[in-house]
Amino acid sequence: MTGIASPSIAPSRQRVLESLSHRSPAAIPLDFGSTAVTGMHVSVVAALRDYYGLEKRPVKVTEPYQMLGAIDEDLKQVIGIDVEGVARRKTAFGFPNTDWKPWNFNGLEVLVPGQFNVTVDPCSGDTLIYPQGDLSAAPSGRIPKGFHFFDAIIRQNHFDENNLRVEDNLEEYQPVSDADLDSIASDVETARETGRAVIAGVSGTAFGDIAHIPAPGLKDPRGIRDISEWYMSLRSRGDFIHRIFAAQTEIALRNLERVHARIGDGIDILYVCGTDFGTQTSAFCSVPSFRELWLPYYRQICGWVHRHTSWKCFKHSCGSVARFYDSFIEAGFDIVNPVQCSAAGMDPEHLKKTYGGRLVFWGGGVDTQKVLPFGKPEQVREQVLRRCEIFSPGGGFVFNTIHNIQAGTPVENVVALIDAVNEFRN
Amino acid sequence: MQELYQAVLDGDAKAAAALTRQALDNHVDALELINSAMVPAMDEVGRLFEAEEYFVPELLLSARAMKASMELLRPLLAASGTAPAGRVAIGTVKGDLHDIGKNLVAALLEGGGFEVFDLGADVAPEKFVAAIQEKGVGIVCLSALLTVTMPSMRATIEALKEAGVRHNVKVMIGGAPVTQQFADEIGADAYGASASAAVLLARRFAAQRNESPAHTA
Repeated sequence: MTGIASPSIAPSRQRVLESLSHRSPAAIPLDFGSTAVTGMHVSVVAALRDYYGLEKRPVKVTEPYQMLGAIDEDLKQVIGIDVEGVARRKTAFGFPNTDWKPWNFNGLEVLVPGQFNVTVDPCSGDTLIYPQGDLSAAPSGRIPKGFHFFDAIIRQNHFDENNLRVEDNLEEYQPVSDADLDSIASDVETARETGRAVIAGVSGTAFGDIAHIPAPGLKDPRGIRDISEWYMSLRSRGDFIHRIFAAQTEIALRNLERVHARIGDGIDILYVCGTDFGTQTSAFCSVPSFRELWLPYYRQICGWVHRHTSWKCFKHSCGSVARFYDSFIEAGFDIVNPVQCSAAGMDPEHLKKTYGGRLVFWGGGVDTQKVLPFGKPEQVREQVLRRCEIFSPGGGFVFNTIHNIQAGTPVENVVALIDAVNEFRN
Repeated sequence: MQELYQAVLDGDAKAAAALTRQALDNHVDALELINSAMVPAMDEVGRLFEAEEYFVPELLLSARAMKASMELLRPLLAASGTAPAGRVAIGTVKGDLHDIGKNLVAALLEGGGFEVFDLGADVAPEKFVAAIQEKGVGIVCLSALLTVTMPSMRATIEALKEAGVRHNVKVMIGGAPVTQQFADEIGADAYGASASAAVLLARRFAAQRNESPAHTA
């Protein structure tokens, strides 16, 4: 069934809402830049601005962990983007996204937040970044010399095996403050005015996201912060992990209540969690482990959302995760991302046929491991058109690349992608 | 011996260390412990991982148990002049800080009787060259998680050629975005699709060098 535009809803938001409701919109909706997993590296954004002849100005790095660039309104209109993100007040490194200042990043002039304070390691030439911008703290992130984004530096302090404290692993998940609420409400209003669908996150819903475990925003992280130690804990300290997730759920539910009370249905999609369960060829844990350790908490979060709001629940997980999709559905997730079709068992036609009526595929549009960075523009076009043919029938599809577009991707290929989406739309 | 095998399989580091100490106190030969408990246990861990009965947490726990035992055994092997199955230098290539996949391969190789020189993550090509020249490694394992760091694999192989050591070693590559086609393009000797596949390849290369597993010099 084809959707009919409502006079009260802007066309962009309308096509997203229809697709989320598993109805065919007039044109497939498109996302770039609304979240930290659906964006573009700052160098790609700069190259696109040049390509399209937009005003020359340094691009803002709104997500410094992965060095993602802000896609401003002029570029959004050129691309035809339908989703607007509400950014967190603070970056992953614990400083606010404000007070922009220039920074030269591998020869590219960009803008970074005022407390984006870095040094260069005199031995390696690597760039080091500091939590909350505090140069007296130990650095919490590193870009190898000449490369493109930060990775967390593991700062694992000693912990007492017999006296593990849940609160140590919860320091980064705090109740929303009144200032947070004011900021969220203001940003949601601004986002809503764009006429696009709006997506936002709320602190506390990321259960065991390995990107957050090292706590790059904390000056002196306590608890289990080493990534391997965390993975082992899932098996060897299951009770402790349950206690963390249960306490985190309480924080998240309280935050959801307060945010919803303030913004109501001002957003359309809740970004719930980015924990990766898949690898290229397999999974990080078994389905029974997922159901034992994560499902109860996801169910509480998504259940609350569906009982109290009109929001849809968004789940990001890279890799080979089709085996988890039934459990994701049971947990209450509506949307899966990035739909990594290059991973084992992630054939797009199989996914659409098996889960297309129950899950929205937000991604899967083009392979960012091989075709987009290394293919020719014609190969990009062919894959984009084919993926649109597979995923778009009956709605349930928001076009996005499979995760962020990486540095070094030829701008001609990104343009071929954008052109192909618009060709399919027309 | 069976208890040590089981402790490694269960990922119980404390038990593995205690059982190793107990066996050594009872004059069990270190090499016998490795060949009869450690190697079969880590082979079984690799098999279970391949069969998707074990996942990353279980493999990491077993690797830690194996290391707890090997820390006690390694000095005894060195003192007795026992040669390993082969010598391997492994690292995540320049620009790439991801090391979990590399660590899993290193653990299975070490558990498989190889002497493993783990060069860490973000490893410059010259460090691989130095490992070949100074440690006498016969196999080099290169890991990359990121599309953008795959070119560092090519650069590392080129550096081995320039240093005149390429013919001394077999180069294996692996990691999420890596493929057999890419291995062929950059002139690697093999592509390991999984951690246990890497061990099988390393054993084949070691056999080609006429080195038998855990043979005594």
